[in-house]
Amino acid sequence: MWQYEKKLQYPVNIKEPNPALAKVIVSQLGGPDGELGASLRYLNQRYAAPCREVQAMLTDIGTEELAHMEMISAIIYQLTRGLSMKEIKESGFDTYFVDHTTGVYPIAASGVPFTADYFQSKGDPVTDLNEDLAAEQKARTTYDNILRLTDDPDVREPIKFLREREIVHYQRFGESLRLVTDMLDSKNFYAFNPSFDKK
Amino acid sequence: MPVLNDKQKLLRRLQQSCFALAEANLYLDSHPTCQMGLEYFRKHKAEKDAIEKEYTEKYGHLTAVQSEGTKKWEWVQHPFPWERGEN
Repeated sequence: MWQYEKKLQYPVNIKEPNPALAKVIVSQLGGPDGELGASLRYLNQRYAAPCREVQAMLTDIGTEELAHMEMISAIIYQLTRGLSMKEIKESGFDTYFVDHTTGVYPIAASGVPFTADYFQSKGDPVTDLNEDLAAEQKARTTYDNILRLTDDPDVREPIKFLREREIVHYQRFGESLRLVTDMLDSKNFYAFNPSFDKK
Repeated sequence: MPVLNDKQKLLRRLQQSCFALAEANLYLDSHPTCQMGLEYFRKHKAEKDAIEKEYTEKYGHLTAVQSEGTKKWEWVQHPFPWERGEN
């Protein structure tokens, strides 16, 4: 089960609204490499993890991703406070506004709504962990791109924190993959699926 | 650096010690017998518990289940953290 704590993992306090930037950063909420997809990926995959270490890793990183989703949502929320209709029209935020006003909704920057197509749960821990490694790098690249798009330090600081977390998670998933392969036949890791085939 | 109010200053210390614990947690998931990691976790757990106690006494509970009001439900008396200046 889960319990909510009334605090952000890392502070988000943005002084200057910027709806155009919100429309880009929303991709890390509901886009192809966003935090919602990350959380659902790990929290669904964990049932096929063959050892407690990897069950713990997927549970704990999947849980941290929920806290990252809250940080991204807080960034979008604060970037869209007190907007005039003129600002909404001129910034290009009008295409988001028409469907969601200034509500927080998980979509990609292109406007495509969140979909479970963004992740797999393959029921094979070697396959799943390889996806997880790629997912962390894709999210890291997205954060790199967001950092290229803004010089507002109030936005950059929490984005830099989130970017660093992708790198740490990549490291931990690498260790998880090593733990799983160490349990398998070193001559052929793919001889069987440890979460399905009887040994 | 932004000017922090007293609540934010204490919250930063809490966030820092929670972060140390979260990092140690993930590390220990893949290194469950690392003595240095276990020691690091224990040290920061004690620190986090002390800061959290001070924070919740001054600025309200972090979880709904900690609420103990007799006149009013405490969970709705303090702001949620996505508001600027409240996190």
